[in-house]
Amino acid sequence: MSHDAVNIEGIKREPVLMHKHAKFCIRFLNLLPARLASHDSTRGAIAFFAVCGLDVLKSLSLLSNQMQKDVIEWIYGGLVTSLEDGQQSCCGFQGSRCVNIISNDEQLQANAKCYQWGHLAMTYTGIGLLATLGDDLSRLDRKSIVDGVAAVQRPDGSFSASIDGSENDMRFVFCAAAICHMLDYWGNVDKEKMYQFIISCIRYDNGFSQYLEGEAHGGTSFCALAALELSGQLHRLDEDTKENIKRWLIFRQVNGFQGRPNKMVDTCYSFWIGAALRILGAFELTDYEENRAYLMETQDNIVGGFSKWPQSTTDPFHTYLGLCGLSFMNEPGLAEVKPSLNMSMRAYNHLKHLHAQWQAESTDDKFATKETPASKLNSDDKSTSDTSPLIKAQ
Amino acid sequence: MSDSDSDDWSEEWIPYSQRAEWADVVPLAQDDGERPIVAIAYSPKFREVFDYFRAIIAHKEKSPRALELTADALQLNPANYTVWQYRRDILRALGSDLYEELDYLEEVIRDNAKNYQVWHHRRVIVEMLNNPSKELELTEVALERDNKNYHAWQHRQWAIKAFDLYENELTFVDRLIAEDIRNNSAWNQRFFVLKHFGLTPEVVQREIQYTMNRIRVVKNNESAWNYLGGILRHGDHGTVNRNVEVISFCEELYASGVRSPYLLAFLIDLYKEQCLQQTNEADAEVLSKKVYNLCSDMSKNHDVVRRKYWQYVADQLKLKLSEK
Ligand SMILES: [Zn+2]
Repeated sequence: MSHDAVNIEGIKREPVLMHKHAKFCIRFLNLLPARLASHDSTRGAIAFFAVCGLDVLKSLSLLSNQMQKDVIEWIYGGLVTSLEDGQQSCCGFQGSRCVNIISNDEQLQANAKCYQWGHLAMTYTGIGLLATLGDDLSRLDRKSIVDGVAAVQRPDGSFSASIDGSENDMRFVFCAAAICHMLDYWGNVDKEKMYQFIISCIRYDNGFSQYLEGEAHGGTSFCALAALELSGQLHRLDEDTKENIKRWLIFRQVNGFQGRPNKMVDTCYSFWIGAALRILGAFELTDYEENRAYLMETQDNIVGGFSKWPQSTTDPFHTYLGLCGLSFMNEPGLAEVKPSLNMSMRAYNHLKHLHAQWQAESTDDKFATKETPASKLNSDDKSTSDTSPLIKAQ
Repeated sequence: MSDSDSDDWSEEWIPYSQRAEWADVVPLAQDDGERPIVAIAYSPKFREVFDYFRAIIAHKEKSPRALELTADALQLNPANYTVWQYRRDILRALGSDLYEELDYLEEVIRDNAKNYQVWHHRRVIVEMLNNPSKELELTEVALERDNKNYHAWQHRQWAIKAFDLYENELTFVDRLIAEDIRNNSAWNQRFFVLKHFGLTPEVVQREIQYTMNRIRVVKNNESAWNYLGGILRHGDHGTVNRNVEVISFCEELYASGVRSPYLLAFLIDLYKEQCLQQTNEADAEVLSKKVYNLCSDMSKNHDVVRRKYWQYVADQLKLKLSEK
């Protein structure tokens, strides 16, 4: 089946080179050249983009069973569980193995372990990747992972990436919300404070900033809106505020999308802005043809992959986000993407299936009582019953 | 994705395994699992430096040589947050001269101005020193290279807030806006500074003048229009329709033939607000017509990429009026 010929009006459309993109993704799961060593700390994220990219390309079957197993084992190998002394919770996934040592010396292992910390972005991508490969997450202690999330929440409601040594901003608010949503458990995470932080970052021009009083930004606006949706708090935004945010987002379209006013268009914003608008139910108001035409300019026609700008270097990040951006416009041959989780609807449905299983298994479970998926769905649906006053932009 | 440099053994480079002062250390290999994925074909230098780094961390060694080793590791991978963390722990343990660390960071930031870990490290060191005297200059240099560098602006705002450095910031912002009137980050900084000093009615009035003057120079500048809207909404309970001067400014621009989508969008908001506040039905009708006409003109001529959006805006108003 070929989708590359013509569209309904008979105008020639540049084809999305599905097979080449799939090969491009697979290449990143294998050996990377030494020149990419500066990405050593975020190998987990690269794996996420590559595997989820294949998923959106409906090409996961190109990964052998052995390879899928290897990916799952490697991800679990980066799982940090509680320290024996129980002093601090740094549970979650590591982005790399750079302080994991080969040694039989228990003392050396214990010392190295002091610096093995979960990182919220790696925990989010790790769980997302496991769900995408159909893992049942039974090897995860959901409570201890969410304890790790709660441990990095800051007094202002935002989150850091890890227990120490990390900045705190909207990126990790999103990661925290995504992790808790995927695990269907919020534990000691303070959703109210999280909400307050998010709305305090609405800027005077109605985009969201990375931190209080920063410049409004497209990636950040996605993080903010996705976190609101995933925590069941999107309905708390009043209608006028939503319309103002929509305006800021819609104005980011040039042909593709830019991340900030007066900045250059970049492939990844077709995802960030596209997903943010999807969350608000306003993506159809954008110009699909212009968006698609820009994305296709950034496709590498020879070896596959997408870059941020035409004629630039491709990478897994822009490749995955470019494919998701195309999926939002119902590109034939691409799987549907769940905007707020940045993964396929198929993977999301697998998660929902797991949630139902967990619920059934543990009516007396220690953390099933706090919040059921049913109550969460209800609060999502009540988007019209809002009475909160207009949220003042900062 | 950027490439890391100096992967090859350079001439001056002496492997750690050949250094007498490191003879007591047994390097520790990385445990990457049995079947690693996204494996990197580390260069011999990268592998060795990190094998020694693992060894010092496993021995909890916090020494001057360990500090130097972290600099080598960070040169190979400045995004490695664990190495930065360990470096801070060494600095604390040794009671090192943190001003030297600032000098070192100045160089690292010059080469890695968009790296989260480097800026975070800088912030922690400045906090430890409790001395922000170099931060404005540092960020100014970074902004000279890229006047919209989000990291540099974030660091600058943090330093200004934490150490009350607002005094001359408006002058700086003025200069940046003069250099590049479309620099949205600079406009944002302007809002940040003025809000700190207080957006009194006088300040709002002055800012409106300032912004209108800049819109006269470049009419099609979203940053200035957003700023104008932000300032007005801040002063007037979320609306833009109460300032007579701004209204006549916009209407005159329109009458003189300007069709910037930002001007038209502003007028649409203005008339929409007025229309919904209007109790006289005939007047409301006139205003709604203005909105519909502008939306249609946007869709067809001046903002075609957003044609569906402007149709939606018109439809929303119709809906609201029908519910009234
Ligand atoms: Zn990008």
